[in-house]
Amino acid sequence: MRGIMTGDAVFQQVCQVLAVLCLAPLLHGFIVTCREKIARGKGPPILQPYRDLYKLFHKEQLVPETASFIFWIAPIVAFTAVLTVPLLIPVLTNYPLPFSDMGDILGGGLILALAGFFIGLAGLDSSHPYGGLGSSREAMLGILAEPTLIVVFIGITLLDRSMLPFVVNHLLVAEPSVYWSPGHLLLVAAFFILLTVETEHLPIHSDTHHEIYMIGEARLLEYSGPLLGLLKWSSWMKRAILYTIFVNVLTLPWGLSVRGSVPGLLEATGILLSKWALVALLLVMIDSLQSRLRFYRYQEPLALSFLLAILAVIAHQL
Amino acid sequence: MPTLSPTGLNQAILDLIAMCVLLLTFVMLGSHWIRNHILAFAAQSWVLALLSAFIGFSGHYPALLVIAGLTLLFRGLILPHLLVRILDRAHLNREFAPVVQSAMSVVMGALCVLLAYGAALRLGQAVTGQSPVTPVMRIGLTSLLAVVLIGFLMLVLRREAVSHLLGLLVIENGIFLGSLILMPGLPLLLEFVVLFDLLLIVVALGMFVRYLRAEIGSTDSRALDRLVG
Repeated sequence: MRGIMTGDAVFQQVCQVLAVLCLAPLLHGFIVTCREKIARGKGPPILQPYRDLYKLFHKEQLVPETASFIFWIAPIVAFTAVLTVPLLIPVLTNYPLPFSDMGDILGGGLILALAGFFIGLAGLDSSHPYGGLGSSREAMLGILAEPTLIVVFIGITLLDRSMLPFVVNHLLVAEPSVYWSPGHLLLVAAFFILLTVETEHLPIHSDTHHEIYMIGEARLLEYSGPLLGLLKWSSWMKRAILYTIFVNVLTLPWGLSVRGSVPGLLEATGILLSKWALVALLLVMIDSLQSRLRFYRYQEPLALSFLLAILAVIAHQL
Repeated sequence: MPTLSPTGLNQAILDLIAMCVLLLTFVMLGSHWIRNHILAFAAQSWVLALLSAFIGFSGHYPALLVIAGLTLLFRGLILPHLLVRILDRAHLNREFAPVVQSAMSVVMGALCVLLAYGAALRLGQAVTGQSPVTPVMRIGLTSLLAVVLIGFLMLVLRREAVSHLLGLLVIENGIFLGSLILMPGLPLLLEFVVLFDLLLIVVALGMFVRYLRAEIGSTDSRALDRLVG
């Protein structure tokens, strides 16, 4: 009996990772299409990212002469790190699976930061001027976003005296008074701003492919072929993971599979997709309706989210 | 001294309203546009009127219902209207050269809130003598001190005369918020006096802005740092 149960749990865990791995390009396609639709364009088909990946993985790998071993390992480390995080968070099931006690929310944040760090190194590695520019800009944003992230984590810990995302999920489902408390709502607002920073939806991020406007993208300019595919895929997965944390832990903790049966998992996948679509639509709306700001206005939203996080902690103490 | 002792839902609502007031204060602190400051001030006054009516209903203070109406009328409609008029006459729209960037001032405001919370805990202990301060005392003192500190911050960090005026009004709103939560049984007469004082402040500073504009040609208070005999 126990053997079957564990086997089941491992299967569910594999499903969690596969869901993020396979559906992240779909989410990206959806966002690109929505953005075009809002601008009254036609947009690429929603499955285009899969074709892009297929194309990239069948190309020859070119390596700049100035590149060192970092160039090779960075995409692999980033991809693996991002692939680890779905083990730790409630993607499809609302109860902890065998490996989810490897790390708490802070652990997940650390692993994502590791991925970002390696991509930053790769941007600097080939000593291409735009790579350095992208790395330094992204690092600047990271430096300002990190304290807020820590304060948000402190706020989440204060909500339920635990840093495990599953506990937060259960608490918010069980107690509407906590869900609607100002402490929690302010945390949601603070995390939402962080989400726009990390998934490149801030009004300072630009879609146009001019190097001078690029922030995170500029780090990947030297890459081509399969490694570029890996990097793109890992950035889409990172976005999907952050969306998942936002909806399943903080805002919409309902609709997860309770027992982990196969139909339950399928249903949870469908619900997860619709939650992602909701967040994506919201972000695309903000992205398209807000006018572009110059890059040096980046501190303002980050200061705002820091403030919201501090207020959340204070509101919880009151 | 009559005090509030709300339970459960009522306390959550108090908490929520106090947070709304704080957030609106931060809108005033962080926004570039003076018109936004005035709108945020008006919104804050509406929230305060709501709070006043809520405490009046839940704590059975009929005078607070009258105060809610007066707050809505004076702070929520007349003062913002006068301020917008001053703004339009002086052709102002934004703070052009703030002392520090708005992001920095918002972070400073956040530190002020932390300071206010720490001070509220100590003050509450010193005043009441109980070691865990009651939640109402904590909410009241923290929001009062935080809004007053941010008001002072606005006075220090801003250079437009109209912004100074708004800073004064925010400080007054903070004290009103604190008095509503901490001692809701204050006589109605006091509130009348305060409201007329506020009107007086706005009218006097309105004249001051006009004078500045006529004599110096700008409404920048930095132009006033020299004695002219």
